[in-house]
Amino acid sequence: MPLSAYLIVSAILFTVGVTGVLIRRNPLIIFMSIELMLNAVNLSFVAISSKLDSADGQMFVFLVLTVAAAEVVVGLAIIVSIFRTRRDIDVDDMNLLRG
Amino acid sequence: MTGIEIAFFVLAVATVASALGVILFRNAVNSALSLILTLLFLALFYLQLGAIFIAIVQILIYAGAIMVLFLFVVTMFASEASDTELQDRIPWQRWVAGILGLVLVGALSYLLFTGTAIDSSAIATGGSLSHVVNTQGNIEAFGLALFHGFAFPFEVTSLLIVVALLGALVLGRKA
Repeated sequence: MPLSAYLIVSAILFTVGVTGVLIRRNPLIIFMSIELMLNAVNLSFVAISSKLDSADGQMFVFLVLTVAAAEVVVGLAIIVSIFRTRRDIDVDDMNLLRG
Repeated sequence: MTGIEIAFFVLAVATVASALGVILFRNAVNSALSLILTLLFLALFYLQLGAIFIAIVQILIYAGAIMVLFLFVVTMFASEASDTELQDRIPWQRWVAGILGLVLVGALSYLLFTGTAIDSSAIATGGSLSHVVNTQGNIEAFGLALFHGFAFPFEVTSLLIVVALLGALVLGRKA
């Protein structure tokens, strides 16, 4: 398959993620859309790595995966603590840094 | 049409459909399950591209560990997690976001087709992976590249994980 085919799929996935962040009000689904964007970039990294016949892209994917795991852990902890202090989950209500 | 092309198109359609499921399902549990499906399809893409280790890690870490964490939090707040009762205070945002999404995918595709092609010097400097894969093996090639060129980022990663662990502990503590 040509490289551009993979990049097109990656672009579509990234756009789906961006649209998800914009249209959803539930913070958990916004978070999942961010994961979708990270994965879209990972796909283009692996595709370009295979095209260039170099392992560097796979290294970047490995590091992105680690960063994504750390990000999910901290982000979900923040969301849980927000849920604990206030019961509504609309992101439009969370416009203050203090509870 | 060869088998690889058919596999690619089936995978591409399935991946985009399940990704759309993530953002369109009303219930957050359905979204999380759809995201797991998307991650599995992406792992199949990685297998098709020859990145075996990345595919396995994608399934183990992403579809396994990270999504289990997601599903835990989603089910913890299952009663509130479906946002059907949330009324949208900015109703036009949905349509503007859809239009802007189309603009973004159009711009990205335009850039992909008109942008400069990969110059052959990049391939010449990079071209060693397939040789190492053939002589040493797939996982060995990954490990050699990781610990020769990326040893420092790899070590910094451990620091990042410790910080994330401490952060989650502090945030999860009963205040």
